[in-house]
Amino acid sequence: MRGQRDLQWACLAAVACALVAALVPLEAVRLIAALPLALFLPGYAVIAAAFGSSELAPPKRLALSVATSLSLLALGTFVLNIFPFGLTTASWAVLLPLIVIAACRGAAVRRGRPAVSGESRSASLPRPAFASVALGALALAITVAAVALAQKPLPADDAVGFTALWMLPTDSREDAVAVGVTSSQHHPTSYRLEVSLGKNQSKTYRVHLDPGEERAIELAVPPRPGGRTHVVASLYRKAEPQKLYRRVTSWLPRQKTFP
Amino acid sequence: MVLTRLESPPVIALLAAIGLFLCSLANALSRATLAPSPLIYWIGLLVIALPIFFRLSSAEPSYRERLGLILLLGLALYCVKVVHDGIFFTFSDEYVHAFNVHNIEKYNHLYHFNPGIQTTPYYPGLEGATSALTMLSGTSIYVSGTILVGAARLTFMAALFFLFARLSGSARGAGIGVAIYAGSSNFLFWGAQFSYESLSLPLLVVVLMAFVEREEATEQARAAWAVPMVLGILAIAITHHLSSYALALIFVALAVLYRVMKIDKPNPWPFAVLSVGVALGWLLIAARSTTGYLFPVLEEAVKAIWKTASGESAPRTLFHQASTSAETVASTPLAARAIALLAVAVLALGAFVGLRQVWRLERGKPMVLLFCAGAVAFFAALALRFAPAAWETGNRAGGYFFIGLAFVCIYGAAELLRRGPSLMRRRLLLSGALGIVLVGGAISGWPWDIQLARPLQASADGRDIDSDSLALAEFARKRLDGSRFAAPESDARLLLTPGNQIAYSGQGPDIEDIVDQPTLESWQLPLLQEYHLPFVVADRRTLSEDTLRGAYFPVRGQYGNEQREKGVIHKFAHIPAGRVWQSGRIVLFNLRDRP
Repeated sequence: MRGQRDLQWACLAAVACALVAALVPLEAVRLIAALPLALFLPGYAVIAAAFGSSELAPPKRLALSVATSLSLLALGTFVLNIFPFGLTTASWAVLLPLIVIAACRGAAVRRGRPAVSGESRSASLPRPAFASVALGALALAITVAAVALAQKPLPADDAVGFTALWMLPTDSREDAVAVGVTSSQHHPTSYRLEVSLGKNQSKTYRVHLDPGEERAIELAVPPRPGGRTHVVASLYRKAEPQKLYRRVTSWLPRQKTFP
Repeated sequence: MVLTRLESPPVIALLAAIGLFLCSLANALSRATLAPSPLIYWIGLLVIALPIFFRLSSAEPSYRERLGLILLLGLALYCVKVVHDGIFFTFSDEYVHAFNVHNIEKYNHLYHFNPGIQTTPYYPGLEGATSALTMLSGTSIYVSGTILVGAARLTFMAALFFLFARLSGSARGAGIGVAIYAGSSNFLFWGAQFSYESLSLPLLVVVLMAFVEREEATEQARAAWAVPMVLGILAIAITHHLSSYALALIFVALAVLYRVMKIDKPNPWPFAVLSVGVALGWLLIAARSTTGYLFPVLEEAVKAIWKTASGESAPRTLFHQASTSAETVASTPLAARAIALLAVAVLALGAFVGLRQVWRLERGKPMVLLFCAGAVAFFAALALRFAPAAWETGNRAGGYFFIGLAFVCIYGAAELLRRGPSLMRRRLLLSGALGIVLVGGAISGWPWDIQLARPLQASADGRDIDSDSLALAEFARKRLDGSRFAAPESDARLLLTPGNQIAYSGQGPDIEDIVDQPTLESWQLPLLQEYHLPFVVADRRTLSEDTLRGAYFPVRGQYGNEQREKGVIHKFAHIPAGRVWQSGRIVLFNLRDRP
């Protein structure tokens, strides 16, 4: 690949991106490395190998590089699936640079020795006017604002809120339960939670929840010899203390069969 | 002078960003249940597109500027979909494909069962590629999937531009052709969702582009162009069934046309053999369930066409999309219907004029003849929209036929833009017509009442609150690892993603009747046992079977707040079975939790 600067850069970039994607714990940095590694470099190398010294206009080369990378990702999935280790971060971080290096090697062979020239091959791009840069930056800022607005949950007063009550055994032994109350209400709300554990044991809790808040309580379930303990959790709103609002039930330990 | 400045690329980019912001604002207001005027959204769409259309109609821009403009158009319109729902996949097929990605990450191998659409794990191209990006970047499936489909969308726009430019010999025509394609009813939303066709269709266009480039290339470069073609054909075969069959049909037709027309170039039969071979091979070796998935749909479509044509059943009412509460779904306003129909009329006019010109100038090119056939077939597929069970088949096929229609319409547009007096007015007329085609396609491609977003999450006192379905899915994700559910369609989709659970719904097996009927029939519990589905979601909301509308918060004063009989909940409580989770409207039962 001596003298083929673009191919050398592609190989180096592929290895560097793979190392960063596999080893760096920061998501944003990994994303910056993963994007060219997955969506550009493999296609660029394969197209370079395919076309060798044939002319290909830069826009078409760019589009084909991305398209071929997408094809290679799809096909690479199929290939990695054959191996016992399958599709993992490590296997992708090895496969993609391998494709890039192998294809770049092929491209270098097909291109042959580069012509020695005293002139630089890179054409200088016209410098954009300040107004164009400013307008472009403004457009980018507005686009980011539009996407950010879409990602922000907003107050929705007419959306009908609710509070959910749930109950599950805490572990596989099923000798304790977790009872939870989750608020999807628009305002802070207060409840009375009553949990009966079998026939003789009952506990009452005051629960105050802000919107989006969850409160979970763990309770030991007294064993019932030769049978199952019926656990019932009932939720009452503070505003209507006599009216049952939510109820969940369980018989512990649970059965393993269907009715 | 002012017009020149307005037509400069930075100004057009700025206008596109402003248009996108208007779309995002309309969606945000809608999510905030403030019932914004839909005009904000439609104006936003036009602010994005019209300046680009107007510039594309000019003779001035260079080849690269036109390419940049259509990429800007593709990116901005893709972002319109992205800003629709923020941080979640919310289109019905997106949940299914995202679940496949989750399974690949979980098991590190392909082909794990997906109860949503059982054939999808056997076409893992999109999901595999997304999992690669997810694993390498550490980002969520939503982020990786959105980036990947965005890259595919940009590739699609560029490849279509190159394809049209090569065939028509005009970059100006190519830019206008791609702009026309943006008016396909599947372009704005359906084709931009995280679904296998969103990758396979761009790859198909890349293959066609590479083929026409190869035809014009030197002997030395022909082999080079075959490389992206072969890779594309193979990738499409493992990505999407219909696209692989469409590509095989195209190459078979081309091979026949080359033979019949005695074209003085190598016959593309090797590509026909390859595309037919890999599509059939994949179907027979890996994806046999596809026949059970596709053929019943096609069979129903044929039956529906026959019944509608013979008068045995009433034709489908246009602009009424499938919904479980059709009588309550807001019907499309008259003005919107008029625009959608006007868009079809504009396309028909463009096709009529274009076909005459194409026949006169280009009928010696087999690919062009195929595109002409596609243009005619598009209008035939429109007729399928009148048959109740065939409208979706027609709609999906239309996305492929529209490529041909867009190409033919280039020649219609060229007639309008011939040199002569009042060219500026004619450019304005063309831009307006393209705007109508874009808006009309968007109206006919997506139900009117959900063009704008609905609240899936909301904020209250500075915290986020979830809709019932989302809250249940999040509960399942955190506390019920990999459990098996029977649920109404919309709840089941969220239980797949983000819930990461196995959730059955629909009619195969008949979960729909189990969760929707108010009484417990004798066959229902044995069926749940047969499929090992201990968790049953009883949902009183009538919209719970609606995958497009059922995931969101009910909104006061809005349609769709009707409830099913209490029996849908009581019948499981009377077994009795343990109640695991209750939100009032939804109750989750565990049938293995009994006295």
